[in-house]
Amino acid sequence: MYMIITIIGILVTLFFLAGFWRGLQNAIAEYRSAAPEPTDVPDYGYGGLAAASVIASAVIIAGAGFSPSMIYAGPLLALVTAAGCGLAFFAERKSGA
Amino acid sequence: MDKSIFAAMPSLTPTLGYASMIGLGLFSLALSYAVKTLLVRNTHDFIIADRRVGFGFGVGSVIAVWTWAMAVMMSSAMTYQWGLSGLFWFVVPNGFAVMAMIPFARILRKNMPEGYTISEFIEYRFGRSKVATAIVTVTMIFGIILEILINLKGTSVVVSTVFGIDWKVATVVGIICVLVYSYFGGLWTSVMTGTLNTLMITVPAAIVVAAVYAQIPGGSEAVFNAAGAADARNLSVLRPDAAAGFGITLAFGLLAATVSDQTFWQKVWAIKSRDVGRVFLWSGALFYPIPICLGMLGLVGIAYGLKPADFGGDIVAVGPYIVSHIGLGLTLVLLYVLVILAACYSTIDGASAALSSVVAVDIVKRYFPQTSESSLFVITKLSVLLGGIVATLIVLSGLDFTTLVLTTYALKTSILLPLVLSILWPKTNMVGFVGGIALAIAVGMPIYATAGELIGTLSIVAISGLTVLIAGLIGGKDFDLGGLRRVTDEVSAPAE
Repeated sequence: MYMIITIIGILVTLFFLAGFWRGLQNAIAEYRSAAPEPTDVPDYGYGGLAAASVIASAVIIAGAGFSPSMIYAGPLLALVTAAGCGLAFFAERKSGA
Repeated sequence: MDKSIFAAMPSLTPTLGYASMIGLGLFSLALSYAVKTLLVRNTHDFIIADRRVGFGFGVGSVIAVWTWAMAVMMSSAMTYQWGLSGLFWFVVPNGFAVMAMIPFARILRKNMPEGYTISEFIEYRFGRSKVATAIVTVTMIFGIILEILINLKGTSVVVSTVFGIDWKVATVVGIICVLVYSYFGGLWTSVMTGTLNTLMITVPAAIVVAAVYAQIPGGSEAVFNAAGAADARNLSVLRPDAAAGFGITLAFGLLAATVSDQTFWQKVWAIKSRDVGRVFLWSGALFYPIPICLGMLGLVGIAYGLKPADFGGDIVAVGPYIVSHIGLGLTLVLLYVLVILAACYSTIDGASAALSSVVAVDIVKRYFPQTSESSLFVITKLSVLLGGIVATLIVLSGLDFTTLVLTTYALKTSILLPLVLSILWPKTNMVGFVGGIALAIAVGMPIYATAGELIGTLSIVAISGLTVLIAGLIGGKDFDLGGLRRVTDEVSAPAE
């Protein structure tokens, strides 16, 4: 499991850094363009998704008390966090887009 | 399980400790200088990043500022102390607290698009009441200073445990490293270094925890069996004593720590308006795995029957002790140090950036409105240094880590409901707001001190909330939140 997590970790790092580079380029381009930023705030409440993530975290922790293999869920999900941050850069829209 | 496996690593010299701290500081400084050159021209850029922080940097930086030394080390410590129940009560409210910002963030960003600080909102919400505004400003400054010093303390615990460096020296070196790079770029620096720190926290944490389990004969199964054999309750999340002992208190405290914290409000007004809601959703959800991952080190401590005396008496040090004494290679130990340093640095620079916004908007522009842009820019940057120096002096006085955390949370809890109601309930008025906070501190804090954390926290929340409700029902006037759209930008960017 250690080797698997290390390899996935390296791949996730590369994905994260690619996203970071994209985000940095976007930020600089937007700053230089000085185009006005829209002020609208979408009406999404996200209540269902938030509740689902709270429940999921509780289930994962409880799972570590039922199966030794669930102990590795923590490290694997930590890699999901890094990948999620990288993905967020690719999910963002440039101003005016 | 035989705990003779734990032995000090002679290669972990103080020199290596200093190199780790200074190395991360220099890396951040280089990035900070680039950020300053490319993205920061004035106070507006420095304290609010021109309101252009995108989705990616928003998510990365919110996770980073929320990943305190607390999340990294206390997750292991609470698991070690209470088993999986400790991890459950530590983790579940933690991510929820970030997502709880969503409705408040959306309302204020929508109704007060040109805002900077939560204290500024209170100023306009309560007819420029000096008392209400001063209470919130002081609370924010107090919270920020505590945020800095708690994380400084975290840095010193790790560095002294792993490298044997004097904790006072580690504190001073740590704050110098952060302040030097925070000084240059303000919020943009904090956002970018924080995002990179999220990478430096997550991937190394996953690798190190997996390596620890790979090092243990029998791996996760052996730990699972030994922890269960030590006490079956270690593998349950349903221990009522964990909930009563710290869980419920911490849950309220964590909510207060986000909703009553300018570090988060600064982000609310700095992130692009269309991304505000989903940034806090993603950040809260993606935060969860970090303490879950590091909490698994606590089970190792239980399985081996480690006693607090084995690692200096402070249970916060259980994670650093396991990683640095279980026989991992030097690189892996340094990776773990990087995790904690990254967590500490990112939270401190986030807090410093928040302090700069409070100083610029809630102090200088409010009390000295004629201050020129150039002077404001200098004062704002100097406030970053001042906050760090004050926090360092307090840390060097030798306060206890856990007591400090709980006291901070208790104080912030007194402002939680009045602040929430002032955003959500139009009938909230100044008398209820100020009275609620004052009564919660005057009556609730003595209860907290005498009756314990659980009853004390519940009392503080109840007293503050009821006072606001009663005063609002008696007062009877509705406040039009939409009127805040007329609030102009206090520190608008000067014309080119």
